[in-house]
Amino acid sequence: MPKIKKKRMGFVIDLTPLVDITFLLLTFLMFTTKFKSEAEAEKQFTIRRPIATPDTTSLPERDLAIINIAIDDKNPTDTAYYYGITNVRDVPLIYQLVPEIPLEFQSKALIKVDTVILGKLIRATLSVRSSTRFAIDADQRIRFKWVEDAMNILRRNRAFVFNFVTEKKRPELEKKP
Amino acid sequence: MAGGGEGLAIPERTKRGKIVRRKKKRRIGFRIDLTPLVDITFLLLTFFMFTTTMLKPQIMEMRIPPEMYAKVEVRASELLTLLLTKENKLYWFKGIADETNKPQEIPISKLRMLAYEKNLEPMVKNKLITVLKISPEASYSKVIEILDELNLAEIPITEAISKELDEKGEPVKRQRKFTIAPLLEEDLKFIEGEGK
Repeated sequence: MPKIKKKRMGFVIDLTPLVDITFLLLTFLMFTTKFKSEAEAEKQFTIRRPIATPDTTSLPERDLAIINIAIDDKNPTDTAYYYGITNVRDVPLIYQLVPEIPLEFQSKALIKVDTVILGKLIRATLSVRSSTRFAIDADQRIRFKWVEDAMNILRRNRAFVFNFVTEKKRPELEKKP
Repeated sequence: MAGGGEGLAIPERTKRGKIVRRKKKRRIGFRIDLTPLVDITFLLLTFFMFTTTMLKPQIMEMRIPPEMYAKVEVRASELLTLLLTKENKLYWFKGIADETNKPQEIPISKLRMLAYEKNLEPMVKNKLITVLKISPEASYSKVIEILDELNLAEIPITEAISKELDEKGEPVKRQRKFTIAPLLEEDLKFIEGEGK
């Protein structure tokens, strides 16, 4: 007796919910994503930030001048100051006031500086835009001397309010008093 | 107007005197192929998912006073001094350090409790000045840890102080007095094994 061949049934998977979720996620990510500032994109180093208890004060994105104190990736004994300005429009105006900055660096939003130029840049930043906020973004491995010097430079140039940039501590590691 | 439905009737045509009825067109269902749209969506989604960082850095605000050369006199009993040495060890003492009041070592994890207890002592309540003296050779991460612990201690301190009422019957406002200073050789004089 010949076997009765079962009729193959084609099947359809409804992908509508999957596509719905995908669109939802895409829309969320597109609206929440903020692209890196020019100064951040020019970074040639990585900063391992110190850890602090999480709170709601996040790093401002506009009118911010960041003093990066970073360890060179290639040479771990080499620490240096970098000065970055998030407001790209202000960059040429600030650099105009500091003639020590070489021409090839005039277009950059982040430059390597010494303590003298750092002071001049802080003063120039404040004269271009007095509402600029300052932040010290330093690597957790450095000695406090570097930060103390940056704080003194800020003080001498009349920037009395600034911020330390930190990374959020994970909630499970938090201690109770 | 009556007879309005007439206009909706299928128009009739005549061909050599014969009435020709127009054939009704069969409606055909149509499908739009959404595959390329979904492909692009997935591509964009993957891009955003790989490039987005959710964990954003936060800030710890600091306010420093302008350079002052005038001496400000304070009561020794209202001083809580914290010393962070180059070995990243933390010491504390109240008042002025001497042979009888030597700085004591304290782990950073217990600093919050110390700050809470000392700030709420009845004699110095809301008057205590915390001085953090840091060695230039100390680690920056330890400094942030200490500042974080002191900030966290402020929450219960402020809460305890605000429970009291002032002369106007309003809750007492917390007056935080804190300063950072460099650690000098003479500060290490009374710490055993340090500064020698």
